[in-house]
Amino acid sequence: MDFLSIIENTLRALVGIDAAYFALAALGLNVQFGYTGLLNFGQAAFMACGAYGLGMTAHYFGVSFWWGLVFGLIYVIVLGLIVGIPTLRLRADYLAIVTIATAEIVRLVVRSVRFKHFFGGSDGINNFSKAFRDLNPFGVGDFYGIRPFRFSGYTLWTLLVAWALVALGSLFVWALMRSPWGRVVKAIREDEDAVRSLGKNVYTYKMQSLIIGGVLGMFSGMIFALDRGSIQPDNYSRDVTFYILTALVLGGVAKVMGSIVGPMMFWGLFVFSDNFLRDLTDSGPLRIGGVTIIQSTQVGAVNYMLVGLGLILLMTLRPQGIFGNRKEMALDGR
Amino acid sequence: MKLHPGRLFATAAAALAILGFAPSGIVHADAENEIVVRVQDQTSTGATTSKLPVAGAVIIVTTTDGAEVTRATTSAEGLASLRVAAGADYVVTLDLASLPDGSTMIREGTERIELPASSFRTPVKALNFFTGQSADAARSDFERIAQRFIDGVRLGLIIAMCSVGLSLIFGTTGLTNFAHGELVSFGGLVAFLFNVTMGLPFFVAFPLAVIVGGAMGWLFNWAIFARLTKRGIGLVSQLVVSVGLSIMLRNIYLFQFGGRTRPLRSFSLQEGLVLGPVRITPRDLTTSALSLVILVAVAVFLQRSRTGKAVRAVSDNVALASSTGIDTGRIIRLVWFVGGALAATGGIFRGLDEQVGFQMGSSLLFLMFAGITLGGLGSAYGALVGGFVVGILVEMSTLVVPSELKNAPALIILIIVLIVRPQGILGRRQRVG
Repeated sequence: MDFLSIIENTLRALVGIDAAYFALAALGLNVQFGYTGLLNFGQAAFMACGAYGLGMTAHYFGVSFWWGLVFGLIYVIVLGLIVGIPTLRLRADYLAIVTIATAEIVRLVVRSVRFKHFFGGSDGINNFSKAFRDLNPFGVGDFYGIRPFRFSGYTLWTLLVAWALVALGSLFVWALMRSPWGRVVKAIREDEDAVRSLGKNVYTYKMQSLIIGGVLGMFSGMIFALDRGSIQPDNYSRDVTFYILTALVLGGVAKVMGSIVGPMMFWGLFVFSDNFLRDLTDSGPLRIGGVTIIQSTQVGAVNYMLVGLGLILLMTLRPQGIFGNRKEMALDGR
Repeated sequence: MKLHPGRLFATAAAALAILGFAPSGIVHADAENEIVVRVQDQTSTGATTSKLPVAGAVIIVTTTDGAEVTRATTSAEGLASLRVAAGADYVVTLDLASLPDGSTMIREGTERIELPASSFRTPVKALNFFTGQSADAARSDFERIAQRFIDGVRLGLIIAMCSVGLSLIFGTTGLTNFAHGELVSFGGLVAFLFNVTMGLPFFVAFPLAVIVGGAMGWLFNWAIFARLTKRGIGLVSQLVVSVGLSIMLRNIYLFQFGGRTRPLRSFSLQEGLVLGPVRITPRDLTTSALSLVILVAVAVFLQRSRTGKAVRAVSDNVALASSTGIDTGRIIRLVWFVGGALAATGGIFRGLDEQVGFQMGSSLLFLMFAGITLGGLGSAYGALVGGFVVGILVEMSTLVVPSELKNAPALIILIIVLIVRPQGILGRRQRVG
């Protein structure tokens, strides 16, 4: 067993691009779920808004790459209104149902043959990120840093941009939650009726929170698309939202640090489990006493099984995660 | 309140052990061949012939005596890839019913290609199917609408059956169970285990799988949700737990069963009966009739029997029901068992209709939610009516929207209902916000 490379991969995953885009999406989910108590199960759709906002600049509109930010914002606001208007006056679980359904429909629409002209169908969109690549100050073929934190020029560039966005986003959320606006949304989470009786328009605050979280999700989707250099509709499936939620709960809901450390821990653990199991099954299925326990094609399933188990155990045994405050997780839908 | 993390762990471990080491349904073939199928639509205008890929065509591989081996649906590029064990003779058939309306094979009889073992010179065999327009295949509008309606009724019955439990669980406990789709898949997969892996006759496997499915629902409550409620954990947290449960179970299914879909052994290939304007297989006719009988039985049980009335009372108001001497704990356990059993039945019927796979239930979850929201969250009759309407709507919508987007109208219904009448058709009028 090659422990050295497993540990190296795990350490690299802690600061890798996956942790960074998860952190941005988790920050957004934290604004919605952690601070305001909104169950947004469609964060993947907000991420898709960002990715397709960028991608469609080149693929369909034929305009400058930077228009992607404008398109992304428009898509996020439209999506936020579609899911928010019918549900934000109702009990918490309606939003969950509608967001999960909308996210699925968004994925079906962008991968459909009918709208291939706009969104590229199941092939997705490639060749949209030249403007971003041209800004890369590092040599594309060169490697930088010391092991295990050794990255190619382009990866280093996206990593720097991604973590800079995470830092800015964190600062923004931290400041926002100390502002009067932040105190109102936290009060909405605790007792909506009390806030309403103080004359605040709860509905508007919830909608603002949903869209602010969605914009953070949009940046996450953009980073993901830029790193991969392509946009695949199936990368924005419903389970992505759930993995981000798991990472957030792991870090600690309603804490800015929670939405950064949670995704780092999530990917560290995930890559460790993945590498360990792959190493174990590399030279054929693992057998104990003639019974096949696991073979290499099943490693993916086991990883995600552990994610699900982790979410169950966290919610039951330590709902506040690493950094959170248990009192802030005492949510109730009724 | 005393915490019992140890007991919770033990329970989860026991559940995992049962699920994880149940006899595996995966057949590990030593050598596999791949059949790559390309389906193209040919149109001739003058001297030029253009070929367009056909998406959504169903390709079925059978053995020479007609037993189905595997099937696949062509991608947007008109391609499908099927893996089969090496060294056997196969027949590859293009399901004409899956082609767009008015489309058929360009030459009659070419939908069926025989593939003897000797034809695999390399592990990959490429096959081409060519489709085109035919005059006789063009069915009248009335026939197409009637056919879609019947397909919709079939889907609606399955959705209604699956969602009764979801709605009653919500009504009695307040939990929105995101793992309900996994109860549906569980039914289909357990039926596969009994029927195919263990080789039991279908009429033994079916009731067994329904009972095991009910037990699984009961286990959800006993092992997880009843304990969480007892510990005073909020409903939103319980909802997130059900999400975790859904991810975990789906991946356990994937681990045990593999990513492919497989047919239940019995009744997998049948000739359609032509009844007036519509075509339906005897299998689908039987399952639909059975679904109807089961749903009516559930409704009569809820309406007439003492226990059924108690279920409705608890669903209406837990505290009030409890104060009249109803044992709410018993009712909740019953609801989980019945809900699990009905979901399993729906899963088995769906498995007969389509195929069995690890995602079969979770892909229905959103339609179930649309159904129970339309009918009224927490109401059993609402789930019946709403599920039925959503099923018909989804199938009928393919007359207008492309079939790859047929779930989208369900979302539109969901949103309109929430704006216009959030309590649903049969829901109680109350403040829901």
